[in-house]
Amino acid sequence: MKTFLLIVAMIAASVAPAFAQQTDPPEGTRISSAQVSGFELGKLSPGLQEQIGKLTGTPLNRQELRDLAARIEAEQPRHVAAIRVTADPDGTARVVFVVARMRDPEQQGNINTKYVVEEVRVRGVSQSAIDMQLRDDITALVGKPLDAEQAEKLETRLRAAFPDYEVSRRSVRGSEPGKINLIFELQRKERSRWLRFEPIEANGTYHSDQGWGSYVEMPIGGRNIRVTPLFAIDTTDDLLEEYSGLGLRFEARKLGTERLGLSLEGTWFNQNWREQTFFALALNPTVPGLYSERSTFTPMVSFAITPQLRISGGVSIAELEPLETLIPLPHGTMANVAIGSIGYNFKQRDSGGARHTVDAAFTLRAGTSSLESDYDYTRSLGQAEYLFGHKGHNVLVSGMGGVINGDAPMFERFALGDARTLRGWDKFQISPIGGNRMFHATVEYRFKWVQAFADTGSVWSDGTERKVRASAGFGLLAGPVYMNLGIPLNTDDLRAVFMMGLRFKGPGFKKY
Amino acid sequence: MRRSHLPRVAPLVLALLLSATIGAQAVTVRRSGDNVIVRAPAFTFIKGEPLARLKDGRSVRIDLTLAILPKEGAARVAEVQQSFVLSYDLWEERFAVAHAGPPPRSSAYLTATAAEAWCLDQLMVPITAMGSLGKDGPFWIRLEYRIQDGDAASRPSDGADTLQGMIDALSRRRKAGELTHAIEAGPFRIQ
Repeated sequence: MKTFLLIVAMIAASVAPAFAQQTDPPEGTRISSAQVSGFELGKLSPGLQEQIGKLTGTPLNRQELRDLAARIEAEQPRHVAAIRVTADPDGTARVVFVVARMRDPEQQGNINTKYVVEEVRVRGVSQSAIDMQLRDDITALVGKPLDAEQAEKLETRLRAAFPDYEVSRRSVRGSEPGKINLIFELQRKERSRWLRFEPIEANGTYHSDQGWGSYVEMPIGGRNIRVTPLFAIDTTDDLLEEYSGLGLRFEARKLGTERLGLSLEGTWFNQNWREQTFFALALNPTVPGLYSERSTFTPMVSFAITPQLRISGGVSIAELEPLETLIPLPHGTMANVAIGSIGYNFKQRDSGGARHTVDAAFTLRAGTSSLESDYDYTRSLGQAEYLFGHKGHNVLVSGMGGVINGDAPMFERFALGDARTLRGWDKFQISPIGGNRMFHATVEYRFKWVQAFADTGSVWSDGTERKVRASAGFGLLAGPVYMNLGIPLNTDDLRAVFMMGLRFKGPGFKKY
Repeated sequence: MRRSHLPRVAPLVLALLLSATIGAQAVTVRRSGDNVIVRAPAFTFIKGEPLARLKDGRSVRIDLTLAILPKEGAARVAEVQQSFVLSYDLWEERFAVAHAGPPPRSSAYLTATAAEAWCLDQLMVPITAMGSLGKDGPFWIRLEYRIQDGDAASRPSDGADTLQGMIDALSRRRKAGELTHAIEAGPFRIQ
């Protein structure tokens, strides 16, 4: 533990606490993108939309931007438009028109306008980070009766100045009757954080071949620290084992700096195994045997290179209780691994209002005797996912591939054919003991409640025949509730698999 | 052997309590000059997110509609819609209401219940607009409120199919921009 803390301290000390200061791009800088935030672009006139779209690729001209902001306000008289220009690392400039609804004239009937503003506070950012003009305008509210409309405009300007923050406003009593204090509160948006918490997964699944199972994570905590109890009941949706049990994960994503985070996870699961797995294992004595209990402790440290790119490292200490069968665990009971992972996440809304989300991760797990592991193996897994969304249409393209070298315990072996992969196939029919090689690809189209999908992939063991399987299907998806019918394609056995349940999935892949 | 009367008495007491509660919250309609006005103590809107916003010293706009129906769920025969601006006096700890008009009216130093009642009192449906309803036959009323918040409507959301989204949605007070509610009551006759 001391060594671990020392590593954490060394990494913390090596992190530069200063963040790059953004400077205003000069006139003439090439504009890389121009967007409208806080207002649906399609509600502007086609001519104005075109003008905004044409800004991309042109030299920065602030007067032109002011003219366009004025045109937005002229077309939408109940809105105000502010301009935000940011410098990109490649020397280009990003332009965002931040549009917000103005206080309705009828909302001027706020009785608190009779009180004098004693003090204005801006919380969540340092005073020095606020533009001098904006700071002066905020200070100008002091000593006068509350001007609700002006306060609304300043809130909009703060939103434009800090696009990575949620801005809210409230008034509280001042130090003496007749006076009030005005408070602007800024809170960092989740997407602008350097590190994300571990993606939360919770599901309850029915698979017509595999039955019911559920896995629930219940996060509790604030913006920097989170504790997540997790519960599994007869879960078969990700592994070859059917496991039940519980666990607890602690995460901190600001260890001195927002770039450095830590997670500690402990889980205790009991296993049940399917008949097909027992039979297949009897025919493959080289595959490590089964166990009845799996206890794991996983400490990890994460470091964000950029808000999109992070690396993680740690260890996983797993103890397996051998199952009392004719085929005992040949390798012993400890399956300890070192873990290294790199993850990338990118989310953007383009000027046309379309959302683009990219998630990718590569994870390496290595079990060696130096970690007192009874299993000597490496497991590499790469995953990537792209989601495009626009006006109710969503297209998801995802792929993953993995390789295991050496003898990995059963919970590490790859499996396909459940409610997420090769939908229509049953993993206990096609690979009841999984494999040490795997690839899988999915294309999915969703329009509002309806979805259609096509999956393809293969799981096999090195030195054996590789059979690529495919399936297609359709279903309904209403928020977290889904109902799918998957049909295997390249088989003579014409059948369908029905899947339904609840699924909540946080962004990103699990890091290990 | 002496038997307890409680099991037989309990439903009666429960029914009396229930009817008293319903009676206290019932919608009543009365005539005020040439208009019909409504009292609906259970039709509350100063609560939840709007109340939190008011207590933050901000104002809330509410649109109220009173519609007259020939029967439950039927098309409207007459309706009146009015907009009000509510605010909460931070020092007096009382509510204020302003009605843009015409004619413009306002009232201050009100409790939440009194502020709601004041708003309903401004919703007056002319009896002439109701035709024969109320005299020759009964009518029903439909009360609706819509609380608007331009800020909430303009902010993008990250989708509700994530667990975090669901937790946020359940734990966060509902956005004022999404708040609408309606009740129907009847039958009534004009006395």
